[in-house]
Amino acid sequence: MFYRFSRLMSLVACMGLLCVLFGFGYGTTPAMAQEKVIKIGTIFPLTGPVATAGQRCQAAVQTAVEIINNKHPEIKTPLADQEGILDGYKFVLVHADSQGKPDVGKAEAERLFNQEGVWAIIGSYNSAVSKPASLVAERMKRIFMCGASSSAALTQRDMNFFFRLAPTDETESVEFVEVLKWLNAKKDANIKTVGVIYENSEFGKHAAGEAKKASEAAGLKIVCDIPFSPGATNLNSEVQTLKNANPDAVLAALLGADYSLWIRTMKQMAWAPKIAISYCSGYQDPVIAKQLGPDADFFMGSTAYSPQFASLMPAVADVEKIFKEKTGGVPFDGDSIQEAVAMLVLAQAIQKAGGLDPEKVAETLHNNTWDSPLSLGGKVAFAKGGQNVKAHSVVTQLQGGEYKRIFPEDMADTQIVFPIKPWNQR
Amino acid sequence: METFIQVLIDGMLSGMVYALVAAGLCLIWGVMDVINFAHGEYLMVAMYVSYWLGFLANVDPVVSTVAAGAFIFMIGALTYKLIIRFTIGKPGLVALLATFGLAIFLKNLCMNQFSPNFRIMSDTWLSGKTLHVGGLIIALPQLTAAVLALIVVGLLYLLVNSTKFGWAIQATAMDREAAELVGINTERIYILVFGIGGACVGVAGGIMPSYLAVHPEVGSMFGLIAFICVAMGGFGSIPGAFISGLLVGVVEALAGFYIAPVFKYVAVFGLYLAVIFLRPKGIFGW
Amino acid sequence: MVGRSVELKTFSSRDIAWLAFLALLVAVPFIPAIAANSFRLHVLILILLFASMSQAWNIIGGYCGQVSFGHSVFFGIGAYGAGMAVVTYGMVPWPGIVVGMILAAVVAVIISYPCFKLSGHYFAIATFAIVEIFNRVFLVWDWVGGALGLDYPIIKEGIGNLMWHQSKVGYYYIALVIFVIIFGMVRWLEGHRFGYYMRAVREGQETAESLGVNSTAVKLIAMALSAAMAALCGSFFVQYNLRVDPPMVMSLDMSMKFVLITILGGAGTLVGPLLGASVLIPLQEYSRAIWGGLGGGVDLIIFGILIILMVVKQPDGLIGIIRDVRRWLSKKRTKEEL
Repeated sequence: MFYRFSRLMSLVACMGLLCVLFGFGYGTTPAMAQEKVIKIGTIFPLTGPVATAGQRCQAAVQTAVEIINNKHPEIKTPLADQEGILDGYKFVLVHADSQGKPDVGKAEAERLFNQEGVWAIIGSYNSAVSKPASLVAERMKRIFMCGASSSAALTQRDMNFFFRLAPTDETESVEFVEVLKWLNAKKDANIKTVGVIYENSEFGKHAAGEAKKASEAAGLKIVCDIPFSPGATNLNSEVQTLKNANPDAVLAALLGADYSLWIRTMKQMAWAPKIAISYCSGYQDPVIAKQLGPDADFFMGSTAYSPQFASLMPAVADVEKIFKEKTGGVPFDGDSIQEAVAMLVLAQAIQKAGGLDPEKVAETLHNNTWDSPLSLGGKVAFAKGGQNVKAHSVVTQLQGGEYKRIFPEDMADTQIVFPIKPWNQR
Repeated sequence: METFIQVLIDGMLSGMVYALVAAGLCLIWGVMDVINFAHGEYLMVAMYVSYWLGFLANVDPVVSTVAAGAFIFMIGALTYKLIIRFTIGKPGLVALLATFGLAIFLKNLCMNQFSPNFRIMSDTWLSGKTLHVGGLIIALPQLTAAVLALIVVGLLYLLVNSTKFGWAIQATAMDREAAELVGINTERIYILVFGIGGACVGVAGGIMPSYLAVHPEVGSMFGLIAFICVAMGGFGSIPGAFISGLLVGVVEALAGFYIAPVFKYVAVFGLYLAVIFLRPKGIFGW
Repeated sequence: MVGRSVELKTFSSRDIAWLAFLALLVAVPFIPAIAANSFRLHVLILILLFASMSQAWNIIGGYCGQVSFGHSVFFGIGAYGAGMAVVTYGMVPWPGIVVGMILAAVVAVIISYPCFKLSGHYFAIATFAIVEIFNRVFLVWDWVGGALGLDYPIIKEGIGNLMWHQSKVGYYYIALVIFVIIFGMVRWLEGHRFGYYMRAVREGQETAESLGVNSTAVKLIAMALSAAMAALCGSFFVQYNLRVDPPMVMSLDMSMKFVLITILGGAGTLVGPLLGASVLIPLQEYSRAIWGGLGGGVDLIIFGILIILMVVKQPDGLIGIIRDVRRWLSKKRTKEEL
């Protein structure tokens, strides 16, 4: 009896495995070579805690591809007025979901290259996912374009096929401290102490490290250093700790829901610093800014794009129309627009290199300065390691629900409101 | 000193809400020996109910909390009918895994339907209002939630302990077959218990959008804390769940402020381990 | 007398089937359909890894009846052992793997000793709490990389560094070795005296004690063994992914996956974890590959429904289905014979 039982079980186990091996038709590379198609993979966190950002980033890449593939004479970006590139090559996107997990992101990168046969990958929002995923590309000598991941460590790895568009948290930190010094000099702001609050993840931790380094270099004193667990049920003790330390300035790295909870908890505790500057995400999310209403006002942060920048970046408006169709009316934010730029710059590089040799295109990307009407400053150029050295962001302040440019002064359009108005005087 | 009292009050207010979330779980767990892993997701669904009522029909969360409670009552009863019913009498893990699947399903269904966007209700009756007592600040939305929690948990306790229906619940919890023998329709009791357990967390979720952003991941942490509260209070003991909810809230706040914010949940889980090693059946366990 | 029957069972005919199956697995990378498709190999590696991991859990959770949700802690310790050896100290991973396994066993004994006094759900929830504590402590512990995690540099591939760049065949064979070690060990335990002790403890601690089994010692040894094996799998996981941070390895999700796979396949059976993994892992990977890109979590919605269906329809796991089929077959046969 035992014999029969075991044989049957082994049989089923084998059948299960054979199912995996042959049963699924999935996984073979369709023969698309004869058609003029360039496949580009995207990896974004489409599910999980940061799915909001991931889905917008995906929509941004789709927008860019639509512009390149079709004739859009009204849009003033390179490649918009022609159909496709390289005499009729068109881009096809293959999307993948990283769930915000590094191991999933890496597996998806391998699948996209090996099974889907994509030519390059754009991704992956979370710095923690971009790291292992781009390593896959580097080993295969394929291009990995990274729009929005901000960890400075990404471009300190001396990789040849990795390109990142967004400014790093390192440059942002230096800029934030510049703002504080500028306020001290111009407005007699007397900012001496700094507090940092950040979510305890790769993104927050790295940003906070850079913030502390920059502040200390400028002679500012760090009076509190508050990491917290993302997805917290409340931020009472965090804000209470801030309130007790009472720093003049707060540098913050909070994502989505945590950002709105932070603002509301500060209001509830009737405390605000003189000035608060945020790294990307929570502050930049136009939906959150709108929903928080007057509570969100007078907070500051770095912003690579906002609809209020129309005068600086006239070309965006038409592009944004396409984007809004995909997101249900949500405009670009500083993160998602970088992904669109990544796609556009990559297409320009292929066009200029005149072929699909990854090494040649990577070389072209490195050696040229690219026109990019969707970037602040209008140019993109990559240093060794892949950092976009023309990456600019301005420090903005929310005033009346609009992102007003404050710093640097030559780009400013509004005077700063300093210090932050007390909650009961709004 | 003032800061200490302030921290204590904040902790107690959030603790009351934990207690309300835990009370529903506690009832289900105590009566049916089922760990409902989707409890945090019930909370999330309730928050969406309240949010959409506010967004589409302009109903304030204070009012729609009733609707949210009723809605989750139905979801709970449905969960029992469609899933839990088949796992009764099987090893306890089976129901846990089934509800784990349900949790994944609910979370992603909401994400699929409502997008992962964070949704905040800004113009509610309570939002942003505070009471100033001396130097202390008490947030009105949290206070309302806490009072509501107190009322609901009190009612639940009365229901279980001093009504005929409650005695039937207790009888079913002790011995299902014996309860059948004395003429209790235990199937109906199970449905209602699952529904009522859901309704408790529904009420909590209904009021929460007045101070918390709604998104598909919002329930996970609450669910986990509810497990801790229930196990710490002792199997199926509603007063136990209430007291440990309060304790968890206070410890979380104190540890967050006096040790380090990043350790606040470490302290909560550590507290559970400490309690459970001293009293292996929980504070009120027998 | 007991000893005699144990000896008889140390090698049974069904082991021949297992050996044949293993021979098949060894040959798998040479099958052209797989050699040409690294995603299939990836799925197979994950199946072997998670089957091994769940088998490690099965020692304490299935055979010994102590349902622990804390195994991602040991998994994580193993992962950090290998990761720190390579990233922090610039060595080959091997010493890190050994240290990780020993450390995991020690940690398992220390935290399990008080936990074993708890019963049923109290034990389960206590292990939940332990995972959360470890997760958060590792997130702020700078020596192990904290929230930044550990990233592997690009170093030479090969068995020395336990790392391969392009081909996955090396990883596949390492996973197969781990699979053989853990399944072999559990198979050996099944026939060994200690295996009977474990099952005795599962069936009833008091009865086991009355038969002269020191139940606490049995549980602790089983836990240490289980944790060390979990750590071994963890170290493979980090070598495979070339990155480790606390949410990747020390999370409740990870723990749930081990439990889910074992329960789904059939807890307390040798073949159960393999069955569970060869159903759940392809389900997860293929559904993500096919629907994940659509956004909106369609793959996870389907995944959730399927878990519910499988658990509700067949609470004894897949092995229950096999038993039913067998019973049905033998019934048919007896009918024919009549």
